[in-house]
Amino acid sequence: MRTPRPDQVRIGFYICHCGTNIAGALDVGEVVNHVAGLPGVALARDYKYLCSDPGQELIQHDIRDHGLNRIVVAACSPLMHERTFRRAVEEAGLNPFYCHMVNIREHDAWVHTDRQEATAKAKALATGAVRRVALHKPLETKKVPIHGEVLVVGGGIAGIHAALILADAGKRVYLVEREPTIGGHMARFDKTFPTLDCAACILTPKMSAVGAHPNITLWTYSEVTQVEGYVGNFNVTVTRKPRYVIEDACTGCLQCIEACIYHDARFPDEFNLGLGKRKPIHLPFPQATPPVVLIDPGTCIEFKTGKCKKTCVEACADRRAIDFQQREETRQIQVGTIIIATGFQTFDPRRIPYYGYGVFPTVYTALEVERLLNAAGPTGGEVILRNGKPPQRVGIVHCVGSRDENTNRYCSRVCCLYSLKLAHLIKEHTGAEVYNFYIDIRTPGKGMEEFYNRVAEEGMHLVRGKVADVYPDPADPANGRLMLQVEDTLMGRILKVPVDMLVLSVGLEPRADTQEVRRKFNLCCGPEGFFLERHPKLAPVSSYAEGVFLAGCCQGPKDIPDTVAQAGAAAAQALALIVRGYTEQEPNTAYVREEDCSGCKSCIPLCPYTAISLAADKQKAFINEALCKGCGVCVAACPSGSIGQNLFEDEQLLSEVEGVLTYA
Amino acid sequence: MREGNWRPRIVAFFCNWCTYTAADLAGVSRLKYAPNARVIRLMCSGRLDPQLVLAAFARGADGVLIGGCHPGDCHYLEGNYKTLRRFRLLRRLLRDLGIEEERLRLEWVSAAEGEKIRQVVTDMVETLRALGPLDLPGQFRQWDQEVETLKAQVVEAERLTPQPA
Amino acid sequence: MIATIEPELATVCQRDTTLETLLQQPEGRRILSCIQCGICAGTCPYGEYMDFPPRRIISMLRRGLMEEVFQSDSMLRCVACYACMTKCPRGIRLSDVLLPLVKEQTLQRAPEMPAELQRSLQNTLRYGNPMGESSRKRANWVTTSPVPVPILAEIRRPVDVLWFVECYTSYYPRGQDNSRAVARLFNALGIDFAILGNEEKCAGDCGQLTWESGLFETLTDYNMEILRKYKFNRLVTGDTHAYNAFRIRYPMYGFNYELEHTTPFLTRHVEQLKPRLKKPLNVTVTYHDACCLGRRAGFYEEGRTLLRAIPGVKLVEMVHNRMNSLCCGGGGGGMWLDTYFKQKGMDRLSERRIKEALATGADVLAISCPYEVYRFEDALKTLPHARPMRVRDVVELLAESLED
Ligand SMILES: Cc1cc2nc3c(=O)[nH]c(=O)nc-3n(C[C@H](O)[C@H](O)[C@H](O)COP(=O)(O)OP(=O)(O)OC[C@H]3O[C@@H](n4cnc5c(N)ncnc54)[C@H](O)[C@@H]3O)c2cc1C
Ligand code: FES
Repeated sequence: MRTPRPDQVRIGFYICHCGTNIAGALDVGEVVNHVAGLPGVALARDYKYLCSDPGQELIQHDIRDHGLNRIVVAACSPLMHERTFRRAVEEAGLNPFYCHMVNIREHDAWVHTDRQEATAKAKALATGAVRRVALHKPLETKKVPIHGEVLVVGGGIAGIHAALILADAGKRVYLVEREPTIGGHMARFDKTFPTLDCAACILTPKMSAVGAHPNITLWTYSEVTQVEGYVGNFNVTVTRKPRYVIEDACTGCLQCIEACIYHDARFPDEFNLGLGKRKPIHLPFPQATPPVVLIDPGTCIEFKTGKCKKTCVEACADRRAIDFQQREETRQIQVGTIIIATGFQTFDPRRIPYYGYGVFPTVYTALEVERLLNAAGPTGGEVILRNGKPPQRVGIVHCVGSRDENTNRYCSRVCCLYSLKLAHLIKEHTGAEVYNFYIDIRTPGKGMEEFYNRVAEEGMHLVRGKVADVYPDPADPANGRLMLQVEDTLMGRILKVPVDMLVLSVGLEPRADTQEVRRKFNLCCGPEGFFLERHPKLAPVSSYAEGVFLAGCCQGPKDIPDTVAQAGAAAAQALALIVRGYTEQEPNTAYVREEDCSGCKSCIPLCPYTAISLAADKQKAFINEALCKGCGVCVAACPSGSIGQNLFEDEQLLSEVEGVLTYA
Repeated sequence: MREGNWRPRIVAFFCNWCTYTAADLAGVSRLKYAPNARVIRLMCSGRLDPQLVLAAFARGADGVLIGGCHPGDCHYLEGNYKTLRRFRLLRRLLRDLGIEEERLRLEWVSAAEGEKIRQVVTDMVETLRALGPLDLPGQFRQWDQEVETLKAQVVEAERLTPQPA
Repeated sequence: MIATIEPELATVCQRDTTLETLLQQPEGRRILSCIQCGICAGTCPYGEYMDFPPRRIISMLRRGLMEEVFQSDSMLRCVACYACMTKCPRGIRLSDVLLPLVKEQTLQRAPEMPAELQRSLQNTLRYGNPMGESSRKRANWVTTSPVPVPILAEIRRPVDVLWFVECYTSYYPRGQDNSRAVARLFNALGIDFAILGNEEKCAGDCGQLTWESGLFETLTDYNMEILRKYKFNRLVTGDTHAYNAFRIRYPMYGFNYELEHTTPFLTRHVEQLKPRLKKPLNVTVTYHDACCLGRRAGFYEEGRTLLRAIPGVKLVEMVHNRMNSLCCGGGGGGMWLDTYFKQKGMDRLSERRIKEALATGADVLAISCPYEVYRFEDALKTLPHARPMRVRDVVELLAESLED
């Protein structure tokens, strides 16, 4: 074996106090004393903050002054600071892979209460690391070039903003949006808090900029169906759904819609959440980007019977944009980095049956009310109920599907503010009495508290209490009047408030297909189901997949300002990788010790990346290092033990096992 | 080492992407659980050579816990399926060796399931407490001793047997 | 759909939990997370008549001012309908954990207990049923059953199903209708069943006697001893209150038999039952979700499935249905507090409910808890209504449609 003789190994052991995070939970000195007595250990020390500059310098000096050639750092999780210490060791002239970390914070100090037990565990883990590091070998990291193209998934405000920044920086961006138009939720709003500027005024210029940008390839009505490869080198398959209209040929004149055999729009309009009607051939909304119509085969007569007069085709005339034969198409692209900006979905209030959504026609979701308020919406901006009347009394229930163990536990963060916004707008449009029923009003952020004051001064009824029951007003059941039963918790009195319209401030939820997307891009999800960032504070737009970044509400509920800030950060991170031009790959690849390989081929089918083949001349297994991702499945399976894995050699793991089992 | 202040020792092999991260999350969330598991990080649970499991038992582990990504979530596509197969074989092997199967446990833990780490470790410690120490090293020593005694007896017997002329 | 949170045994208060020790337990600590949203008070059918609805109780508890709460009779007005617990956004198990303990203290301090309630508690202790009937007459109804109803002590062999009949369904005429129906249905399904007969005593949950913990334990010990005498595979009961007592509290006294309520039990057999349900009833039915079967145990659709299996039944819903159902007012001792509530100027919940039922235009109000026949039939008597309405247990309707 290539084990260096013990007398050559000079290990330096460092344990970090991490302030009181570690030192407060276990006896750091005792661990130092224990490790100092282990074979091969030349030096053992503790330090307040090893990851600080002086901490790193301490290690570097020791390497030079004491001739250390192995370093063990017992501190936080290696997922946090392994790179830091490897870099420090490298700067001191040592191969970075002679450094190994022991996780005594996340796996020990933070999770155990008994000081003695925690100390014993730290000793055991440190012993394992000391044993293991003695067997470490010098390794080289591989540099992998990064393709300059970026894929942005999702064309809400987050995706739009990130795409524009990257495109303006001269990078090629593929923006893939599932719906026929970009814009996301924001495109549906009338005005936006806290400034009450009109959503369309600030969004649509950005949408057209995306449509027109020479560096952006915009694929709407499309979805990413497959992702292969890794940071710098992703191979992505995008599936484009047929809209039965040739995108390049359509000029957006909308004459086809005019000419449709259906005189009146009569099918529920998705963009307006079913509150309005559309024809089979339609444009989601006037500023849709791209301004290309589409045909819904579910309602189009030609698709249903094949016997339509096709007046739309006539109207399109020599532009010949309509193509009933269009098929789904796939496109292959190669990109270096990916930004996920798939946003959120609103909570389905049918899950809280006692609010009567879907039962009483006068109950609306906040998003529906946004459409009613929107001048381009189904009612031309007038708040009119399904019975054709404007409401005189409106109740807005906050926190529907948020802060609730039965649905979603978290606070959706924007509902308080958008509820106040809706209260203001409804009052402005209709003069109605508006009641806000809240648990706590939460208005953090610039200008938000001021906005709250402003709306309160307008004479809103603010009732602190969660609405408990909704039923038809017994005094006036015919007109759809509802009775809201609620405790005004500040008065300590049960109120029964009759309203003509009930607005449910639905929370923000992970999209229904989050798990699929997560798998496709190798992401992680937090307990609430949103995509998980690499670190809540220090890496808020990085995902757990290298080269894949997160922006907007797919990472958690947030308002537009924060969404845009995050989208900018994600773009900057992608750009940083591209500008550097390469990434470093962990050298944890597998290799074959040819002298031991019997050529049995059992490893070949196991490799998920087809990196293993049989070298025909020698009849030995051969691992293509460029393809190997370092999972180690072949290593574990090789019957003759002739496959090794850098950083995870059998001897190393075995010594670690032995080490952690020698209890102090 | 017997009873009294005996503490079960668990060697835990966790894959880097899900289970190890979940254990980190448990830490960040300050969940409290039994201190008996020593985590060894692997890139994928599929790296786990059955020999390592046996070695852990032979070196004194009372239990071995394997943690990997949920089915379909393995960072390397299907390493965890291979682990599952090996796990089943290993359990059978342990049974044949007279070691209680419950001493080897496989759990799928996603990066978000810090709470599950807490539950699994705590639960496993309870199981092991009920089973009592395995102490293979002690048993090995005892067998060695028995062999030695046997050897001595044979030598003694040979000495006493009259040599054929 | 919000589901009732299943009570894992760890989350209901244990035998020895007191208000003093409550906050040391995980379930008690959860109370500390209350956000004072007031949904409990808002949904409480008698919330407007309480000085201390659950929200205020929690805030008094957190401030150490419980004595004031005990002095008020708010908790006597709790009818244990589980609405507050079901809707609580913090998942605080109000009706399982906190409220019974408060009610116990309130009753202990009450200068005098409402007479009707006191009488029924005494009766239960003395005779094993709240109406004070002789325990030797408990099984008398059996002689009026159209099919044989075996009694364990007589047949002396193990059975598949031990049917725990309970009090109302043993003694009161309308309750006996229910029992006769169940007997016919079991018989039609070929179930091997038997009852305890005169050996049976009230399971103790009726009227939330849990809050009289001494009495409850007497009954538990008694019933457990009787159960241990016999061999059976499962215990089935048509009384939702008994069902929950067996499900939640009896296990603390060693009960670990398989357990089912007749509604889910029959739903499990609905395909077998269907071909036998030949007689069309031609009625419009509205179904009342009993608190103890719905919110407390999570069975909302089973009763409806059974009703839909009956030919000629048209099912219509009341405004308040399933998890949002309105209580009949009989729980938590409410069965024996009508006079008291009336004295305090409170309206009768059964009348509120009947008004909703009448508004549906249904001919039949279908129920699945033995208390409800009395409550709703009474309410119908006092409430003027143009269209006749009948109150029928789901099992009665099933049996009516049965062609022997
Ligand atoms: C009723 C309501 C009112 C609000 N009002 C305000 C306000 O006044 N001011 C404010 O600051 N904030 C407001 N917000 C918050 C605001 O909506 C969000 O901050 C913002 O929309 C987040 O943008 P996003 O791009 O992350 O997500 P989204 O807007 O959800 O956009 C995501 C996009 O990705 C697409 N997509 C999803 N999955 C895929 C996939 N797999 N492949 C391809 N494409 C995909 C979607 O079709 C969508 O176009 C409000 C929220 C609601 C619910
Ligand atoms: S990476 Fe977790 S099991 Fe393979």
